[in-house]
Amino acid sequence: MFKKALLALPVAMAVGAAAQAGEWQDPNDVLQNLLQNNPDSKYLHQSEMNIMMMPDNPALWLVEEGEDLFYAERGPNNVSLEGCDFGKGPGELDGAYVELPRYFEDTGKVMDFEMRLVHCMKELQGFSSDDAAVAQRHGNGSDIMKLTTYIAHQSSGMAWNPPLDHPKEQAMRDAGEVLFFRRGGAMDFNCASCHGDSGKQIRASVLPEMRDGQEWTKAVSWPAHRAGHDNVRSQNHRIRGCVWQMRHAGIKPDTPVNTALISFWNDAARGEPAILPDLKR
Amino acid sequence: MFKKNAVAAGMVAFASLSLAAGFAVADGSKDADVDITAMSAEELAEYLIFETDSFRDQEMQEGGGWRDRMTQDDIQKACSMEGSPDGETAGRVVALARASYERPEGGVQLGDWRKGAVLADSGFGYRQGHNTDDHGQREPGGNCYNCHVFDSRVSVQGTVGPSLENYGATRGTSEAILNYVHEIISNPHQYFPCTEMPRFNSDRHQLLTDEQISHIMAYLLDPESPVNNQ
Repeated sequence: MFKKALLALPVAMAVGAAAQAGEWQDPNDVLQNLLQNNPDSKYLHQSEMNIMMMPDNPALWLVEEGEDLFYAERGPNNVSLEGCDFGKGPGELDGAYVELPRYFEDTGKVMDFEMRLVHCMKELQGFSSDDAAVAQRHGNGSDIMKLTTYIAHQSSGMAWNPPLDHPKEQAMRDAGEVLFFRRGGAMDFNCASCHGDSGKQIRASVLPEMRDGQEWTKAVSWPAHRAGHDNVRSQNHRIRGCVWQMRHAGIKPDTPVNTALISFWNDAARGEPAILPDLKR
Repeated sequence: MFKKNAVAAGMVAFASLSLAAGFAVADGSKDADVDITAMSAEELAEYLIFETDSFRDQEMQEGGGWRDRMTQDDIQKACSMEGSPDGETAGRVVALARASYERPEGGVQLGDWRKGAVLADSGFGYRQGHNTDDHGQREPGGNCYNCHVFDSRVSVQGTVGPSLENYGATRGTSEAILNYVHEIISNPHQYFPCTEMPRFNSDRHQLLTDEQISHIMAYLLDPESPVNNQ
């Protein structure tokens, strides 16, 4: 107890400063601060090799490719994505990623990042659902992952701060919390089956605890290069993998179950700096 | 395999919820006219799962479709809280689990611990979606190593559940122990209400056959099993 309180004080100060400033930070610096502030977290410290690789995170290649794609005039309408509003105004990317999901007037609904990106690629650039640019969601070769990594990188080090001012934002976040604890599927699992305690392992994987903001900010910091997959993965890819392992039904992309879960995830990491992109096992 | 009564109960519960949420609308397009802010968080969660086309329409390995799998039965509903159940809930869950347990005809038998070791180590089975497990190609396993240490000499094993090293060495193979372990693997809520552990043979469905359970039990209890020689 006493030890925890001692540790918590500098952590709270560091986080408070970062959240107030809202300044961009290199993802490796964000990670190093987290590690220093949480010397006892098995989750954060589980892979020495990944920590060492972080300055040369392969995901940084996608940042560059994504930047080119973002400003390129593309699609049937031959326009760039500079007209896309991720919530901070058209083309405004600084801090946009950590303030999602949010309610958008133009669609009348709460959208998560990937949903919004796809919306812009269809509505502004004119891509159809069948075009590879939109249809291919996963893997380093996909436009979606390149764009996601570039756009998310513009929020690195900033505190998760998904808005809850609109009643629909609050409703989706609250439904996401219910979904997180909803036991179901063939094996009765909920998200908390794996993320309700600190330091527990599924086989060799140390699991993050949702109620520990310092573990959870790393847990939800996607896009991340996933070493075991040798590909950069998204929040949506993590959900798909979890739901698959949990033996629930197969989840589809661009659907509101994803949005509600991400609304809750990002809210649970509120105030903690995001690592964008991260590197995971 | 597929137990209709549990699913039917779930669908009745959902039908009444649907009425409460009031999403039958004049123009037939559910989405546009649904006021998600008028629902409770629990109602909205059910609405998102069942009415927003969020899941693939696939056949589940245990029978039934995705709606059947995603519909909660009484134990799942009772255990969908953060943290541990309160006393009343725990008692109700234990009673539900006990009421539906059936001991195999002819009593509980130990099978072959070698087969049990393979099953305990197998995470195959019942996964659905982008990469669906085909039970015709390979039998589903028990996923036990994901959460329990059986034999730390073999591989790195999970710690979500208690370590089971030397489980049988300290307990023996009396009829009482055999019955107890069979009850836990079949439906652990009989002893540990709202445990994270799946029910492998309950009134909801049978994920492992009686024979598979007998092999896993042998891996756990047989004096010859490496689990009991550490």
